[in-house]
Amino acid sequence: MSPIDRRMFYHVNWRLVGVLGALFAIGVLNLYSASGVRMGDGVQVENFYQKQMIWGAIGVFGMAAFMTFDYRRLNALAWPMYAVTMVLLLAVPFVGKTVMGARRWLDFGVFSVQPSELAKFAVLLLGARLLSESNERLTAKELGTVIGLGALPALLIIKQPDLGSGMLVLLLLTGLILYRGIVPWLFRTLCVLVPSVLPLFWFVLKDYQKRRILAFLDPATDPLGSGYHILQSEIAVGSGRLFGKGFLAGTQSQLRFLPEKHTDFAVAVFGEEWGFFGMIVILGLFCAYLYQIAVVARDAKDPYGSYLAAGVFFYFFWQILINMGMVMGLMPVVGVPLPFVSYGGSATIVNFCLVGLVLNISMRRYLFKQT
Amino acid sequence: MKNLLSASTQAMPRFGPALLQFLVLALFLLFAVRLWYLQIHLGPVFTEKSRNNQLRVEYIFAPRGFLRDRNGELLAVNEPAFALGLVREDCEDIPATLAEVSRLSGIPLDKLTEVYNRNKPKVKSFEPLVLVPDMTYDTIAKVEGAVVRWPGLEIISRTRRKYNYGHLLSHVLGYVAEANEAEMQADSTLSLGDYVGKQGLEKTLDGRLRGAKGKRLIEVDVTGRRLSEELQAEPRAGEEVFLSIDLSLQQLGHRLLDGKSGAVVVLDPDTGEVHALVSEPSYDSNMFTNGLSNAQWAELRDDPLHPLQNRATQSVYPPGSVFKLVMAGAGLHYDAVDPLDTVTCSGELAMGNHIFHCWKRKGHGTVNLERALVESCDVYFYRLGMKLGVDRMSEFAKAAGFGSPTGIDLPHEKSGLIASREWKLKRFGVRWTRGEDLNMSIGQGYTVVSPLQVARYIGAILNGGKLIKPLLIKGQRPQVTGHVPLTAAQVEIIKNDMVQTVEDPRGTCHRIITPGVTVGAKTGSAQVMRLTEEMHRMGEGVPFKYRDHAWMAGFAERGGKRYVIVAMMEHGMHGAAAGPIVKAMINALFMGQRELPPKDLEGGERPANGPAPIDTVEPQFPEAPSGETPAASSEQEQPQQEADQQ
Repeated sequence: MSPIDRRMFYHVNWRLVGVLGALFAIGVLNLYSASGVRMGDGVQVENFYQKQMIWGAIGVFGMAAFMTFDYRRLNALAWPMYAVTMVLLLAVPFVGKTVMGARRWLDFGVFSVQPSELAKFAVLLLGARLLSESNERLTAKELGTVIGLGALPALLIIKQPDLGSGMLVLLLLTGLILYRGIVPWLFRTLCVLVPSVLPLFWFVLKDYQKRRILAFLDPATDPLGSGYHILQSEIAVGSGRLFGKGFLAGTQSQLRFLPEKHTDFAVAVFGEEWGFFGMIVILGLFCAYLYQIAVVARDAKDPYGSYLAAGVFFYFFWQILINMGMVMGLMPVVGVPLPFVSYGGSATIVNFCLVGLVLNISMRRYLFKQT
Repeated sequence: MKNLLSASTQAMPRFGPALLQFLVLALFLLFAVRLWYLQIHLGPVFTEKSRNNQLRVEYIFAPRGFLRDRNGELLAVNEPAFALGLVREDCEDIPATLAEVSRLSGIPLDKLTEVYNRNKPKVKSFEPLVLVPDMTYDTIAKVEGAVVRWPGLEIISRTRRKYNYGHLLSHVLGYVAEANEAEMQADSTLSLGDYVGKQGLEKTLDGRLRGAKGKRLIEVDVTGRRLSEELQAEPRAGEEVFLSIDLSLQQLGHRLLDGKSGAVVVLDPDTGEVHALVSEPSYDSNMFTNGLSNAQWAELRDDPLHPLQNRATQSVYPPGSVFKLVMAGAGLHYDAVDPLDTVTCSGELAMGNHIFHCWKRKGHGTVNLERALVESCDVYFYRLGMKLGVDRMSEFAKAAGFGSPTGIDLPHEKSGLIASREWKLKRFGVRWTRGEDLNMSIGQGYTVVSPLQVARYIGAILNGGKLIKPLLIKGQRPQVTGHVPLTAAQVEIIKNDMVQTVEDPRGTCHRIITPGVTVGAKTGSAQVMRLTEEMHRMGEGVPFKYRDHAWMAGFAERGGKRYVIVAMMEHGMHGAAAGPIVKAMINALFMGQRELPPKDLEGGERPANGPAPIDTVEPQFPEAPSGETPAASSEQEQPQQEADQQ
């Protein structure tokens, strides 16, 4: 295909890039504080923020790379990608690396891969391909096919066990299905059926997962155990009040009362130090970010592009909802990071790449005029 | 989309884009509301929680002020003590830890469990709960090794009150014990395990002795590591207090009572300073420091000898003939008697169909006021009482300080009782009889007084009529609380008569005459019960509990130094029994015959004489150590006998 057209450069969605830049900058700044630990008199800062900047730099390259090709070529990749992912997922239980009691990683010597990350991408591509074929509401049969294709990798991931990623795969697919729409009678049935079947999954949950849900429902039952995370996170956010305790001045994080403070609970550090004011700013940025992706999905050139962008929308939407919800005590503790704010190498790179994909879709929306 | 060329074959999603925008809006609203709720609405609550996470308050104990006698002898000090505490938060297996503590300390497990369960609600989970308040050195040695292996166990060092003369001064000093629930509520600076004064001067001077705890704010991280400390308040040590008590006199009084129930008061009539305030039997103030078991407490409380009672201030007795000094004052004040007027004592006085006897059955012959006091003639005072009547006697006695507390700095002082017509009518619903006038005039009947009140009245006779507050702390400004309505001349008459009582060979107090010292005194034998003629003849054979209380109230002066000395012995039979005590006190005060007692008297001596009847010595219970409600004590004095004359 042609290299990047100069005109396309003008069509880059700079608003999305701007919001992304702001979010990432806030994220890195917050990581600087979140990785600080007061041991004696001084604050000892670990180098997570530096590493995150390196990941971000790599991510920018990935993002650029994802803008270079015509996204429609991904359509052909959907099935092969899905197949590879399934193979890798099946391989994990046998040859995977065990980290913290869960087999999630495949070690390729030079680098390690979490097939679950790949699965999200595979499901995104396959979902977009299958669902963009028509704009009619889904019938039961079609729905069953799509759900089935998504559930396979999701179940394998949940088995690892990695409930967060598995759920995310399913939720991503659910988002895409809702984006297309379901025939009314089926939609109504599902509205009744899903909430009534969901509790049955209680019995397949692992003990620690059950404890987390119980602790979420009533943090006081176990204030030093599972409830501890929620409680300390709420204390961190709540004690920030209107303008926060100030940068590097959060006691919940500096004195390590807040667990996982540079990963899953990073935004709680932000809430403690910047208060309601800061949280509204970051929430506003996330909403602006999501809104820009939604606009891309709406204005995309073709249904496939629209579905891809919507998939990316849901990919971020669910993570933001689950992570921030958890930090604010609205969700049980699930290991889902907050994009651009939580520390994480592969997640950061993937996030940037997906933004690249959205920009790709966005800047090609006028392209077909010439062809 | 209309202008897109290739949009013809492919249909764009219809509902999706609207859904996405709706979701963005919903996300924003949901979280904005939640953030408002957490950060603005509940902000103060979480701020407090975050501070609780981060800050620990640590109190620095202030040493309790020492107590010294007037010569600087240490009476109450602090000594180091080691307690064993359990921090629940750090303890992995509490039942097993308790079992181990039981093994190490030898305290039964069920008792430890009880202590644990009782204190659990009062102690925060990260604070040590005191299991063993005071460990022996043997236990400390064993526990020190175990603390490492049993997380949560902690040796707490603190100070413990130590009374060098536990038995000698228990009624004056009182004791300290751990603050109870009510005290902690009343005083927010108190926390569990703090000592407060519960009795005696420890109680009344508690504020001065206790000082103020220091406060340290400690910043900790999640592991409990101390990051910073900020001293918010320096501990202020308790004040050292010099008592007016003279330890050697106190010791002397203790020895002179020789285990018998009674009280001795020595005070300076000009300053009000109390040089000795002895009450026997006594208890050991040290017993209370580590908390008394219920059994120990019950034993003390139910002891028929009432060792907890301060007999100088909390016990009231009929004054007997000592009251004649008050009646003489009343006679002079109301001009009912001329010191030179005489009365003929035939040994009895008939009134109506009742015969009132003088203690001397043969009679005293012709007596004036001086002779009547010197020889303690009852008939003289019967006539005086008839003349005065209850109203005037009562009025004067009250003006002389009887029937009202002296105001000494000791808790639960008794007022005693001076009867009146109104009182009798109200109390018994019966009118006052004239026979009761007679009874009252010789200090029998309803009248009850405390030894300290008697000492205060004698003091007034010496200092020209001033009722002075007895002071237990050295160097305080004398406080005059009232005036006995007597002129200087009238006071002088009574004083001289007291001197005569000692110097006259026939005087009832002649045995305490001391060369070179002006001594005046008056005896008293207070009837516990009206003895029958038959019992009188029994003499020494009268059952102990029916024997009279023995009083001697006197003073001694030489070279500007003067002291009031009052001795009271329960069931001492005769006023003379109290004489040797007064005499020994005079010797000690003026002849320098005194010696310091050995420290730490094992004074568990039981009085040799039997128990006092309970209704004579109305028990005044101090507060129970384990939160039992103290026995209600009625303010209404109940004399032990009723005049039965008609």
